[in-house]
Amino acid sequence: MATRKGGPRQPRERVAPAEKPAVPQTPRKEAPAAVAGSKQTAPAEVAAAPAPKPPRRNSLFPVGATIYPLDTETESWNDWYLRDQSEDLDAIGEARFALVRLLVSWKVLEPQVGQYDERAIDRLEDLIAAAREKKLQVIVCFFADDRHAELTEVPWGKKRDPRTDNYLVQREVALVQKLVARFRADPGVFAWQLANEAFCSGFETSSALEAWTRQLREAIRELDEERPITLGIDPEALFRATGVDARAAIDTCEFGVSHVTAAYRAYAAEGPITSGPSTYLDSFLLRTAGRGKPVLLDEVGVLSLDYSPGEEAAALRIALWSGLVNRGAGALVRRYRDLETERREPYFLDPFETLVGVTDGAGRPKPALGEMRTFVKTAARIDLRHFEPTPERTAVIMPAERYLPLPNLAGLFDPRSCLAAFIGAKEAHLPVTVAFETDDFSAYSVLLVPSAFELAEKTWERLAGFVQSGGSLLLSYGGGDANSAIREIFGIEFLGDAGPRSTLSCRVAQQEVLGTLDNFDVNIDVPNYALLSGGTATIVATDAKGSPLLTVNQVGQGRAIYLAAPVERAIAQGDPWATPAAVRKMMREVYGAVARAAGCGAPVTCDVPEVEVTLFQGETDDLVVLMNHAPEKVSANLTTDRRVSSVTDVRGGAPVAVGGTAFGVPIEANGAVALRLAYA
Amino acid sequence: MSGRGQQSLLAEGLARQGHVAPAVEACYQALRVDDADPLIHALLAELFLTGDFYDEAIAAASRAIELDPDCAPAYLALGLAYDRRGGMWDQSILVWHELAEVVPDLVTAHVQLGEAFASAAFQEEAIEAWRMALELDASEPRAMYNLAVAALKREGMATALPGFRRAGELDPSQDDFFFSLAGVYDDGTPAPDPADVAPDRDSRLSAALELAFEEDFFSAVDLIRLILDEDPDDAEALALAGYLYLKQEAVNEAMSVALRAMAVSTRTPTAVYVLGASFAKRPGLNRNAARVFGALAKAVPDDAMPHVLLAESLLGLQRYGQAKNSYLRAVELDPACVRARFGLAAVLLTEGEHSRAHWEVRRAAYHDTRRQGLFWRLYDTYAGGRS
Repeated sequence: MATRKGGPRQPRERVAPAEKPAVPQTPRKEAPAAVAGSKQTAPAEVAAAPAPKPPRRNSLFPVGATIYPLDTETESWNDWYLRDQSEDLDAIGEARFALVRLLVSWKVLEPQVGQYDERAIDRLEDLIAAAREKKLQVIVCFFADDRHAELTEVPWGKKRDPRTDNYLVQREVALVQKLVARFRADPGVFAWQLANEAFCSGFETSSALEAWTRQLREAIRELDEERPITLGIDPEALFRATGVDARAAIDTCEFGVSHVTAAYRAYAAEGPITSGPSTYLDSFLLRTAGRGKPVLLDEVGVLSLDYSPGEEAAALRIALWSGLVNRGAGALVRRYRDLETERREPYFLDPFETLVGVTDGAGRPKPALGEMRTFVKTAARIDLRHFEPTPERTAVIMPAERYLPLPNLAGLFDPRSCLAAFIGAKEAHLPVTVAFETDDFSAYSVLLVPSAFELAEKTWERLAGFVQSGGSLLLSYGGGDANSAIREIFGIEFLGDAGPRSTLSCRVAQQEVLGTLDNFDVNIDVPNYALLSGGTATIVATDAKGSPLLTVNQVGQGRAIYLAAPVERAIAQGDPWATPAAVRKMMREVYGAVARAAGCGAPVTCDVPEVEVTLFQGETDDLVVLMNHAPEKVSANLTTDRRVSSVTDVRGGAPVAVGGTAFGVPIEANGAVALRLAYA
Repeated sequence: MSGRGQQSLLAEGLARQGHVAPAVEACYQALRVDDADPLIHALLAELFLTGDFYDEAIAAASRAIELDPDCAPAYLALGLAYDRRGGMWDQSILVWHELAEVVPDLVTAHVQLGEAFASAAFQEEAIEAWRMALELDASEPRAMYNLAVAALKREGMATALPGFRRAGELDPSQDDFFFSLAGVYDDGTPAPDPADVAPDRDSRLSAALELAFEEDFFSAVDLIRLILDEDPDDAEALALAGYLYLKQEAVNEAMSVALRAMAVSTRTPTAVYVLGASFAKRPGLNRNAARVFGALAKAVPDDAMPHVLLAESLLGLQRYGQAKNSYLRAVELDPACVRARFGLAAVLLTEGEHSRAHWEVRRAAYHDTRRQGLFWRLYDTYAGGRS
């Protein structure tokens, strides 16, 4: 179905716990019929109801938390879920969460080979039942390590590797089948998670991970053909940590997860958590994990106890809204309760990321929990059946060289460059996603290839075809010899690499061809600079000595834009929190102008780059979500294509008359605002 | 020469020239020949550290230390990797302790140790480490900045401010700023012999500036005196005279000379600087200093230092919001400005933004340690010791 903004609508695939037809469900209050404006609403039902109740939660974006089996560092593995969890489940239900994750302990459940501790399994059953009573659904994670109590290390395993040892894998299959057989009829179970990051990081090869996943998955499918299965790992973060490419294994599952691990944050965006690249990391990984399947934003929240409660809440707010506006299928916070730590000594600081919850160790709510409540309430009023995000026709391309091992450094540089490009596109307010070099490009109108060292020959052919058939390609030079295809695609001649420079200069030769560019000379370390000579391309900007910096070439029905320096890499490798404003503006302008010319520019323009704008399109009205990535309050001025008659906060309140195409919205520091736009 | 030696030297040469990717490739080649060479692992760690790839740097440096527990450059790379990565303060503390034992006179090890202690919330131990660093080198500005930040956390800005001032005086970047205003840069050529200077005003002034740059203040004074004997109203010479007074802690004289220069010409940036710096040295004259540095920041808007100086004056006036804006501008202009980073951390602490303040201190350490180039000093010593 065509939309007003152009482009085909992409089918939504979401993890929807309340809507799985095959699994008997507890009736839920937020049935679609109760949603105002829903097409499914029967007139008789509307007449019978005095006033439609606002939905309690968004069934297409469920929110939840992991309940960890241990609460303090001093507890051991046999204290697994020993504390009565009903207080937490009450609070979670009251906060309108939809999901909880429980971590199975193999060590507890199978203390001796083939001998299961039935009391422990009963304990798990009681937990699932208690969750069900609170209208919560459970993700059961089989092989989860909490990194404290070695929950997966069975004493009889004799230190063999439970991931690859045939005997232990058979025991794992037996355990999984026992649990699935016991709980398959339980409507409280939403999904099976095979393992978590801590367990999977022990795999040494992709084939071993894939084989293990297939074996466990088949074991579940023998008994339960319906419930979704997930592996519980983020492919990008796992590859970074272990060098294991989990994509093939994840493809065998029904949904994926994205997870900003402590190590990945340290690698990609080490810095303040409420500003700059940190605030885009959740959405970036969500996009990279999206492989045509729903992706759950997993383990959101801060990673250490270094932050104030206010910062924890702000970081969580950003992550949750990032998930919603970037087509996430739901979100799970890292843990419900803080882990009670021992008194700190300098040599015993916990390096792992299982510390911080949304309540303190005694269960007292922290501001982060309040933030989640607010989010759930607000998100409940965004009917994702009625409103669709603007299709992402711009993609940042992750080069295949990212998967090359050391000593090739591309795998280390490329993800950072892609993140910088992703942020640049977001700052240009473009609907943007991340694709891989080997993916099909036909769904996109604009491709951004940021600072890649090398692309495959076949990719160059595909890019040439992409541009010929009307696509726009923006590629920045990555260093080394340029491929000969750039002559044909970009209409330029590569003369060599001028090497590193500490100042980037821009002299605009053709204004308005690629947005409103400014002349500048700024201090930023640029690792390479391509010396180019003119061909058929139009030189839009040069450096201070007249060497082309930005060129545009018309090829067939498309355009090819070449940036002579790896600016995205320079931004990422420099100080991403202190990138010169002129460089940020240049990238924003160029990305925005390329997308605009390709017909997929920002659906709503905004004068504050730090505000992420997402337009959800409805039948008669639209919904715009604004997220402030800055730690200061801002006032964003928005401009729409159509004349807006009024805007209404989705949480309620009276419509505010606009009567034009521009209006201003104040947004708190790291805040989010969702507005319904009614058109004249 | 053996094959191993060739590969090692190639890797080292490439690394020294800043060619990271080929240097990493050469290191791997060298390790194929001999994977038990700690020097190559240490070099690899440094290369990964250059690219901010901390986990890889940690792995390579740890391997080097496994192979030789006395490999000082590997300890440095490992400690820096832990600190820059963040969240691994316990390991970091151990490494800096070790390095301080292996190279006892390495001031940076004590400064970093203090910062690791502070990050792990061990303030007493941190202060002890910074004091130790100052004992080794009384002109170590980062130790002084850190002590000032610690004082700010404990007793507030009034107590901390003298520490920030003192650290600023130790920081050579302020002198560099004066000379950049005067158009003097380190081009590698030595200052001329005063006896060989041509007897004209421009030659004398130029030579005096170069001599002052090399901290030969007495020769510079002699030349300035000759200029002022001929023309007592030479504003640029007066400004340099003021600077020389400042270097000798003669603040009143510097102030009066700078005022005289300003009376002659208000468009002498060096004189404006000297006047502002003189005001800033008198605690009661922060308002005057802020006005003067405000004017200087307008006159030289693209240099970070006048914004830093303005911000420091504003701190003295307790105008934290304005100070923060000036510091932010300075960081924007020069992300590697250690002084601006520490100042910004101080303002953020007054606002209760502890984690952001901590980040600024860490960034200051990041840029300071990158600038120092300590790795090569330790590397050369270690390599020399082995041979």
